[in-house]
Amino acid sequence: MKKILLMGNPNVGKSVFFNRLTGANVIESNYPGTTFDYTKGYMKGISEDFEIIDVPGTFSLEPKDKAEEVAVKMLEEEKRALVICVIDASKVERGLYLALEIIERGYPVVLALNMWDVAEDKNMQIDIEKLKSILNIPVVSTIAISGKGFKEVVLSLKKAASVGVNEITEKVGEIK
Amino acid sequence: MEKKLSEMNYEEEGRVGSIEQDLKNKVAGMGIRVGKNLKMITKHPLKGPIVVEVDGAHTSLALSIADRIIMEVKR
Repeated sequence: MKKILLMGNPNVGKSVFFNRLTGANVIESNYPGTTFDYTKGYMKGISEDFEIIDVPGTFSLEPKDKAEEVAVKMLEEEKRALVICVIDASKVERGLYLALEIIERGYPVVLALNMWDVAEDKNMQIDIEKLKSILNIPVVSTIAISGKGFKEVVLSLKKAASVGVNEITEKVGEIK
Repeated sequence: MEKKLSEMNYEEEGRVGSIEQDLKNKVAGMGIRVGKNLKMITKHPLKGPIVVEVDGAHTSLALSIADRIIMEVKR
């Protein structure tokens, strides 16, 4: 079964996201060697089923504490996994830092701009189309607590593919 | 004027001047990099963490980390 890792900064709504995708079929499991828990569950996709793992929140892939170490280790152990990178739409820059690190390691990524409503309340405008064309990955706006955007997230899973970092830096160069 | 991030007062704003080398990557993921504008929001008592605003978002830092970030503040 194809695995999906849910990654993102702490407090961006990954677990709400997880519950949305998996419904009630949730199991708690212990990660060996640490006291840190992660959660995994299953989701029915359109043509295949997925195992979804809710990874502890991390700011970067250079771990600075035990919890982040677990997150990085999980990513490294699942070489063939797909990553849904959940970022807080009102704190895009911080989230993109992590997203780029994951892309750089060659994982296929779907970027979810969660808490879209919060960003709107703060009058932030985010050009999703531009992000899509620069990063060359699916980018979806979501509101995990209400369920907005989830259909699109699931639909975009099959479009996710790994992207070369050089392509991205070239495109960023063009904008300047 | 230069001062440590940990020495900034409430509501005071400044620009990140320098960050100790081995700390740079650690705080970059939290949006704190040289040249960024920060505003002090809260300093928790008993040498607790500080909360700063960066790019409209709040982030908290251990006081020991804030000690190693040098800020440029006006006046």
